[in-house]
Amino acid sequence: MEGKSIIRVKDLKKNFGDLQVLKGISTEFEAKKVVSIIGPSGGGKSTFLRCLNLLEMPSSGHIYFNNVDICSKNVDINVQRQKIGMVFQHFNLFNNMNVIKNLTVAPVKIKGMTQDEAMEKALELLKRLGLDDKADSFPSQLSGGQKQRIAILRSLMMDPEVMLFDEPTSALDPEMIGEVLDVMKDLAESGMTMIIVTHEMRFAREVSDRVLFLDGGLIDEDRSASDFFNDPHSPRLISFLNKVL
Amino acid sequence: MNFFEQFAVILQEYYPYFLDGVKNTLIIAAMSVVLGVIFGTLMAIMRMCRIKPLKWIATAYIEFIRGTPLMVQLMFIFYGLPMVGIEFPDVSFIPNFSRFMAGIVAMSMNSCAYIAEVIRSGIQAVDEGQMEAARSIGFKYGESMKLVILPQAVKNILPALGNEFVTVIKESSIVSVIGISDLMYGAQGVIALTYRSLPCLAIAACIYFILTFISSRLIGLLEKRMRHGR
Repeated sequence: MEGKSIIRVKDLKKNFGDLQVLKGISTEFEAKKVVSIIGPSGGGKSTFLRCLNLLEMPSSGHIYFNNVDICSKNVDINVQRQKIGMVFQHFNLFNNMNVIKNLTVAPVKIKGMTQDEAMEKALELLKRLGLDDKADSFPSQLSGGQKQRIAILRSLMMDPEVMLFDEPTSALDPEMIGEVLDVMKDLAESGMTMIIVTHEMRFAREVSDRVLFLDGGLIDEDRSASDFFNDPHSPRLISFLNKVL
Repeated sequence: MNFFEQFAVILQEYYPYFLDGVKNTLIIAAMSVVLGVIFGTLMAIMRMCRIKPLKWIATAYIEFIRGTPLMVQLMFIFYGLPMVGIEFPDVSFIPNFSRFMAGIVAMSMNSCAYIAEVIRSGIQAVDEGQMEAARSIGFKYGESMKLVILPQAVKNILPALGNEFVTVIKESSIVSVIGISDLMYGAQGVIALTYRSLPCLAIAACIYFILTFISSRLIGLLEKRMRHGR
């Protein structure tokens, strides 16, 4: 694969008890590229994504982030995670903090940014999304779309090198999906490296450079976005696309 | 004299017995809950920690204490421990100190087990995603606990802790069997002097009710304030 790869995955396996969810995945993710991962439920998409920042500990295999094997015991995963942003299906904003605190707590406590710097940066990001009037609101006072956009900003505050999205629109009301996808689209255009687990086929096709089809714990198809949708090879992918498109 | 007259007369003449009892009951309840919270927190941490033996010890302790009557635990500590040579010291300037100690130790060992469960369930009731989000952004486990999980858990824990205090006030009546002059002991004393058991017990019941009612109202207020002041 050409280009500079930022994450390399080698023979990644994950078991939950007797159940093998990931059966040996090897792939690479290049800098400044957007990769979508689609596939049926239970196929291991989310587990795979959660392994990339070790929210799930792989049972075996290696994950190299900037050529550092983050599965190695000598690596401080807390430091690596600062450079890997993650956006969750259920937003997971810190419920005990208001919006501005949600955005500033990590840069201040972890990166040693001053409160003023962090505040300025947070307000600038909020303003760009037209959310600056929500700075003092608590998560419980926000709509799903607002929460998810702020969750994206929370990750961006740490200046991550790669962003992981775990079904970012699956818990949203239909009329709010657009506003979140717009933010992600802008992010992709700005050159962010993104790995997105999603059920939004149209979005995946539009935004991604590459699409992976994950089924039964294996990568069943790995193509450029247009080939993936226009000329699928794997019979399982063909039947999957017939069902969802 | 009818019941209500007896009630009034006894209250008028023997109120110091009851007051003294209330004082001791409150001391025992407060001490037990304070000690129970301290050791209950430790016990909860042990139960949730990854070191297996500590976890087993805490689980066994909690299950055992919750599965046996307080009366037996109290007797065990007051009568049983001295038989194997463990005695609580007598302090000359506090009357009945060793009895008092035995009562407080038994009550706090008991309430420690319940409080440990309150704390554990309060922490585990916080959505898992909160911890995941904190860890994924780069916070260490301890920082995540301190900044994100515990502030939310406290909201679950405090009301339940208040209920535990109410329970302990009531349950502490059992220490009268080892001769600690709590409210129940005071009531029994007055019965011995007047031969009127019903009014005396009624007075004790009323006082217990007033104590628990006031406590639970205060807890309710606190709970309300926390819900608004988030």
